[in-house]
Amino acid sequence: MIDAAERAAMEETVRAAIAGADGGAAIDEVLGKLGWLEMLAAEPPDAIDIVFSALGATGATATALDDVVVSALGTQPRADLAVLLPRFAAWDPPGRIDANDLLARGLATARAATASDMLVVCGSASEPWGVTVPMKDAEVEAVRGIDPDAGLRAVRVQGSAAVATRLAPAAWQSAVALGRRAVAHQIAGASRAMLALARSHALERVQFGRPIARFQAVRHRLADALVAVEALEASLGAAREEANPDTAALAKAVAGRTARTVAAHCQQVLAGIGFTTEHPFHRFLKRSIALEGLFGSADEIVLDVGRQLLAARRVPR
Amino acid sequence: MRMAFSKDSMHDSRPAIDIAEYRAELHRWLDAHHEELAPRYSAPGTLDDHIAQMQRVKSILFEAGWMQFGWPERVGGRGGSPMLRTELGAAIAGRDLTDPGLYSLIEVLAPTLIDFAPPELAAEVVPRLLSGAEIWCQGFSEPDSGSDLASLRCRAVPEGDARTASTWVINGQKVWTSLAQYSDRCVLLTRTGPADSRHRGITAFFVDMDTPGITVAPLEMINGEQEFAEVYFDDVAVPADRMLGELNGGWAVAMSILPYERSSCFWQRIAYLYRRLQRLVDVAPDDDRAAEVVGNAFLQLHALRARSRATQHRLAAGATLGAETSIDKVLVATAEQTTYDAVRRLLSGIVEMDDSVAGEMWRSEYLYSRASTIYGGTLEVQRDIIARRLLELGSAE
Repeated sequence: MIDAAERAAMEETVRAAIAGADGGAAIDEVLGKLGWLEMLAAEPPDAIDIVFSALGATGATATALDDVVVSALGTQPRADLAVLLPRFAAWDPPGRIDANDLLARGLATARAATASDMLVVCGSASEPWGVTVPMKDAEVEAVRGIDPDAGLRAVRVQGSAAVATRLAPAAWQSAVALGRRAVAHQIAGASRAMLALARSHALERVQFGRPIARFQAVRHRLADALVAVEALEASLGAAREEANPDTAALAKAVAGRTARTVAAHCQQVLAGIGFTTEHPFHRFLKRSIALEGLFGSADEIVLDVGRQLLAARRVPR
Repeated sequence: MRMAFSKDSMHDSRPAIDIAEYRAELHRWLDAHHEELAPRYSAPGTLDDHIAQMQRVKSILFEAGWMQFGWPERVGGRGGSPMLRTELGAAIAGRDLTDPGLYSLIEVLAPTLIDFAPPELAAEVVPRLLSGAEIWCQGFSEPDSGSDLASLRCRAVPEGDARTASTWVINGQKVWTSLAQYSDRCVLLTRTGPADSRHRGITAFFVDMDTPGITVAPLEMINGEQEFAEVYFDDVAVPADRMLGELNGGWAVAMSILPYERSSCFWQRIAYLYRRLQRLVDVAPDDDRAAEVVGNAFLQLHALRARSRATQHRLAAGATLGAETSIDKVLVATAEQTTYDAVRRLLSGIVEMDDSVAGEMWRSEYLYSRASTIYGGTLEVQRDIIARRLLELGSAE
């Protein structure tokens, strides 16, 4: 584990590099030059925390999520290998094997547009199989959706399952867990960014002869937004300290709740200007909404967790 | 929870105690002494029952040596990190052996004596609190001073010169004083400066509750219990050596409680809330609506626990806790209400119409939980602190 000073320096470096890059592919390139893959191999928790927090905070789009999922599945990540993510709001393996045919549907990052191969996981969460298919077997369609800049793709794969290999039983769950943590860090970064925008606006915007930050109604909204962000960061800390699929799922659920709370309060404080595309707020709002659906939304995770509690009749601590 | 405990035990001559081992041994001991510790009253019990139970549990734990862990040796403790006593409080709250709200008063009273009383006084009285021989209360709030504590008016006047007086005479009123009618002593905040001196003119005293001139009038709370009281002071004479801290230094005494309240007390409260959620999960219907409600309460408890644990790690590493613990306070208050709201939503009628033992218990606790956003600094005060100190929004209008 790296120390706090080292970590702060790296965060700053990554953030500055991302901010200086000119979108999409350029950001992937910048991360590559900064040694993203080496760091992911050496210190996955630090690498994921630093890079995804920075992506969230800057609103940048990258395809680093592919590397996180690929490496958690036990495969060496590389820039021309994409991975098929579960469908929106789902977290089951996206593919199934039917005789010798592989059929899969899911989402992918922008890497699906440039990669040569795609790693597809099929089967069940506890008995996963992996197939690497050439991109020509995949139908890739750009998703505009609420956040066209997120670079997401809808993917359909129809190929041969002849080369499917059995993955470790925990591989898919680990991949989902790490993917959830990555996305939750990104949402945390975006939430901090929304709060920072609303805070500056509250201090600068003058109404009734004073900055609106002087009004308690405004102050309390921003305070509640900070409480939500801090709760998310604590949950991410717990997911790191007690690293397992459950703590990762909870962190992702807290992230979804936090993003909604922060977005609602900050949008209200930003009022008219936050409703325009002139102001950067909308980018973080839309990104956090799009991200919430990756690997399950808060509502779905909460329902799943609640079902488990009731099935076992036991509340773990 | 695994932690390196070398740093925490800096002030202690004994070797560091491994927290995981301590916890395991504690739970083994609690398992073995389950019968002896279990409540003697039939559930749900009255406040008198709960207090008698708490004092009995404390005396058993003191006798066995557990109560002394985490307290300094100069007040009869066995040293070690304060985390040890946090673990103990959480263990007994998690087993429903005591009410965490009552038990954790230790955390907001004993440290005050240890840090601010003359050493011989602290050495004499702290063991009496820990062993269950005495109950103490905290005389802070007044009828006109709730959230605005620095406006308090209960006055202490020296007999003669303030620097040399051997006696101070106290007149005024306190309110919302928890357990006042059961208490042997009171940590009391008084006005010693000019009326408008705010936090600069407050002095703390350690007052024996049997001193002539003190009248206690219990107040009935919305759940029917008389947990707190009004306390009247009419020419109450207190020896000068009972002053805690400096003359006019009472604000520092009051504020010094914060780190203990916001770490150890919260951790005990969290253990208790997990236990309550378990009780709900034991009997909740097996459907998706219930799954959503318990899942949501569990999520909030999880985030709260993660936050509280991080706070304790910071404290153990030597950090000074401050305004950022207002975040912990907001999370604990809202998680508590969410937990009891979940009970009301899923166990239809249990809070509203059920006169069984379970109904009485849930009803009492549900009603009590409504205060979680009020006591210990209201949610609004916490948000004000977060806005001013953490978000640096400047002062309000």
